[in-house]
Amino acid sequence: MISPLMPISESTIPELAFNHLARMEDPLGVFPRLTTKFFSLWLKTTYPFHSIGRDVLIHHTVVINRRVAPAISIGSSVMIRKDAWLNTFDIEDVKGPTIVIEDGCLIGAGDVISAKNRIHIERDVIIGKYVLMQDHNHAYEDLASPIKAQGLTSGGRIRIEQGCWIGQGAAIVSNQDELVIGRNSVVASNALVTKSCPPHSVLVGNPARLARQYDPAKGAWVGGNGRSASVSESA
Amino acid sequence: MNPSHGPARIQDPLKLVARILRKFYSEWLRLTYPFAAIGRKTSIHFTCRIDRMNAHRIKLGSQIRMEKDSSLGISLPPEQEGDPVIIIEDNCVIHWRSQIGAKNLIHIERDVLIAQDVLIVDQNHAYEDIHTPIADQGFTEGGRIRIGQGTFIAHGAAVICSQGELVLGRNCVVAAHSVVTRSAPPYSVLYGNPARIIRQYDLDKQEWVTGPVRAPQTELVP
Repeated sequence: MISPLMPISESTIPELAFNHLARMEDPLGVFPRLTTKFFSLWLKTTYPFHSIGRDVLIHHTVVINRRVAPAISIGSSVMIRKDAWLNTFDIEDVKGPTIVIEDGCLIGAGDVISAKNRIHIERDVIIGKYVLMQDHNHAYEDLASPIKAQGLTSGGRIRIEQGCWIGQGAAIVSNQDELVIGRNSVVASNALVTKSCPPHSVLVGNPARLARQYDPAKGAWVGGNGRSASVSESA
Repeated sequence: MNPSHGPARIQDPLKLVARILRKFYSEWLRLTYPFAAIGRKTSIHFTCRIDRMNAHRIKLGSQIRMEKDSSLGISLPPEQEGDPVIIIEDNCVIHWRSQIGAKNLIHIERDVLIAQDVLIVDQNHAYEDIHTPIADQGFTEGGRIRIGQGTFIAHGAAVICSQGELVLGRNCVVAAHSVVTRSAPPYSVLYGNPARIIRQYDLDKQEWVTGPVRAPQTELVP
C-alpha cells in the first residue's frame, strides 16, 4: 500500500544553488547556536544560581527568574531547550535548592518544572517536549473564592532517578510525600503520573499504570498483558 | 473599536515582517536544502527545525504549511542513501510545535491537518538493558506510519508505531491528547489514552456507529 515513489503532484526536484554544500549543516543555524551560547554564558556569569556546571546550554527563550535563581542547581553538560520554564517559589523558608538538575540531563522544549519543595532530576535523564512536573497544586477547598486566590497546596517532592526517559506531553504531579520515578524507567507520552514507581518500569496512560517492569529476582521483564519481553515497548 | 471599521478588517501591517521572513526562509530551504522533492507554494516558518543533513530523504508536496516551531527529524546516519522516509503530500498543514520523527517511513497523505503539539514517531528509544541510561541505548527497529488523506489529528495527540505498520484510514479524527498505537479503519474517531475507536462510519448501512466498536483490523503492539 505504501509507495514511497508515488508522485506528488507539481513537486519539483529543487536545483540547488550551492550543490556541493547541500549535505552540510544549515549555515543559518549558526545564529541560534550563538544566541544560545551567549545566553548560557550570561546566565552563568550574572545569575546567582545555587550551582551551575560546565558546558551548560540554555536556549535564550528559557524562562528563569533571576530572583529565585539561588534555589536552582544545574549540573554539567545540561541542555535546556526552547521555551522551558523553571519556576520556584518562596525561597526564604526552603533549605537548599528546590530544583536540582544533575549532569548530562536534557530538558526538552516547552517543559514546565515548577517546584515548591524539591524536584530532583538525577544524571542522564532525558525529558521530551511539553512535559509538566510540579510538586504542588492549586488549593481547592473554598467554594466561594476563585481558585486563583486560594493559594497552593503544601505539596510533596519529586525525584527522577538516573537514566530515565520522560515522553512527550507527560505530566508528573506530586501532591504529598515523595514521588520517586525509579532508575532507568520510562514514562510514555501523555501519561499522567501521580504515584511512585520502582526502578526499571514502564508507565503508560492516564492515570499511569505499570505496563512492564524488570524483575531482578527472575532476571526478566514481567507484565505488559502477557507480551513477551522481546517486544519493544511503545511509549 | 468596532471590528467592522475599515482598518480593522485588513491584515495587521506589522505581520508583514514575519511574512517576509517566512517567505525568505522557505526560499532559502528550496535553494539550499537537498530535498528529495519540494512542491510549489510550500511555506515553512523560519523557526521550524528540519534536519538538513538528511533532507535528501524528505519529500514535500505543494502548498504545505508548516507553522512555528514544528520540526521534521530523521534519526538515520546522514551519509546513508535511500528512499524518502518522510513523505508529506499536498495541502497538509502542520501547526505549532508539532514534531515528526522518522526512521523507516512516515507517509502523510493529502489534506491532512495536524494541530498543535502533535507527536508522530515511527521509532522509539530502545529499552532492554536496565543498567545503561536510556539516552545511551539508541533507538528501536521501529515501524511504518501512514496517515490517510483528510485526517485531522487534534491538539497534543501522539501517533507512535513501535513495530509493524500503523495505518490511519482516510478522514479519521484523532481527539485531543490521545495516544494512538494501533491502526484504524477509514472514517473513525479515535479517543483516549491508549486510543480506542468511539465512533465509526459504517459504509454498508451508511450511518455512524457509536460506542466501543469492533477491534481495530490490524493487531499491533500497544
